Amino acid sequence: MNELELKQLWQTTNDKLEANFVLSKENADNITRLKVHNILGSMKPLKFFTILIGMLWVTIGSIVLSANWESLWTANKFFLLSAALQILLTASALFIYLFQLVKIYQVDTGNPILKTQRELAQLKISTLWSARILFLQLPLWTTFWWHESMFTNWNIGQWLVTLTITGSFTFLSLWLFFNIKYENRDKKWFKLIFKGKEWTPLMKSMELLDQINRFSAEPSADA
Amino acid sequence: MNKQDQQQFFREIIKQHKGIMFKVARAYCSNEQDRQDLMQEMMIQIWRAVHKYNDQYKISTWLYRISLNVAISFYRKNSSRAKLYTSLNGQLADLPSDDAPGNERQLNLLEQFISELKDMDKILVILYLEDKSHAEIAEIIGISVSNVGTKIGRIKDKLKARFSQLKY
Repeated sequence: MNELELKQLWQTTNDKLEANFVLSKENADNITRLKVHNILGSMKPLKFFTILIGMLWVTIGSIVLSANWESLWTANKFFLLSAALQILLTASALFIYLFQLVKIYQVDTGNPILKTQRELAQLKISTLWSARILFLQLPLWTTFWWHESMFTNWNIGQWLVTLTITGSFTFLSLWLFFNIKYENRDKKWFKLIFKGKEWTPLMKSMELLDQINRFSAEPSADA
Repeated sequence: MNKQDQQQFFREIIKQHKGIMFKVARAYCSNEQDRQDLMQEMMIQIWRAVHKYNDQYKISTWLYRISLNVAISFYRKNSSRAKLYTSLNGQLADLPSDDAPGNERQLNLLEQFISELKDMDKILVILYLEDKSHAEIAEIIGISVSNVGTKIGRIKDKLKARFSQLKY
């Protein structure tokens, strides 16, 4: 089958099918009535629910901490500081995530495909920042229960165990913070962390960006 | 453009250029329900973008960009929209089944070939089969005209190799 025949086959089949394709005026009108300019309306329920829970956690946490700051400071400084930092990090991750969602939503699909897809893929990949920030919380979960009495009552063995745990968590969180990036996408540990349905769009964006980069970089006839 | 003008413009372009969405959907989705969902998503994105339309580009170029961008990025199975727009699905066109007589084997082979391609190459094949000029393909994708020529050449070779395996 030659080139011309191939094109004809494609076009005649499509023309034939298209002729039977009916799109009612009512249907087009319905689209114009949908609230598609609302980002919340376009979100998946699970994503919406997760963001809502995160916002509630940050709001309630901030209110409780600020209302009881003085009494908590007197009762246990370690708890207060750990909780405050945890809420601050969650709020930062949430803010970055929401900001990127809005930016993704605002991408103009009427632009050339390569430009749009690169922009979208880069924005989706930048959601990695939220994951990096959230991992910074790890050591804070080991310091909530610290108390000033530790400094006077504890023996070397207790300190050794506590500092080993907190030190390991701190090292792990910092290592993840600096190493979770697009360049490490093919590493085994990266794939292990970002395995699962909720990360599929992110992993697909990385694959697509790879593809776009290769597609743009391919030598052309004028190269 | 006020809201009424936008609605009018939207209705016009959907009516006149529905074939673009239809062909892209056909290339990206093998089953009817998926095609309908994808076309619905395309229309939604076109409506969202109507106020940004820049008349320095042909409407078909702009529509190909949106349709192909949506086909790659926005199409998701089981999205919340499926439920939200259930009422629309019933009214969307009934697409006929793929029972094109004759040449069916070649058509199946062509569709299979397209489905196996990566996203960017798939776009090239669709536009090539649509007989778009290299200049228009370059405008839609956002690469140089000569680059389009090179890439189309490679795709054609692959296509030829695939069809040469077919015994008549």
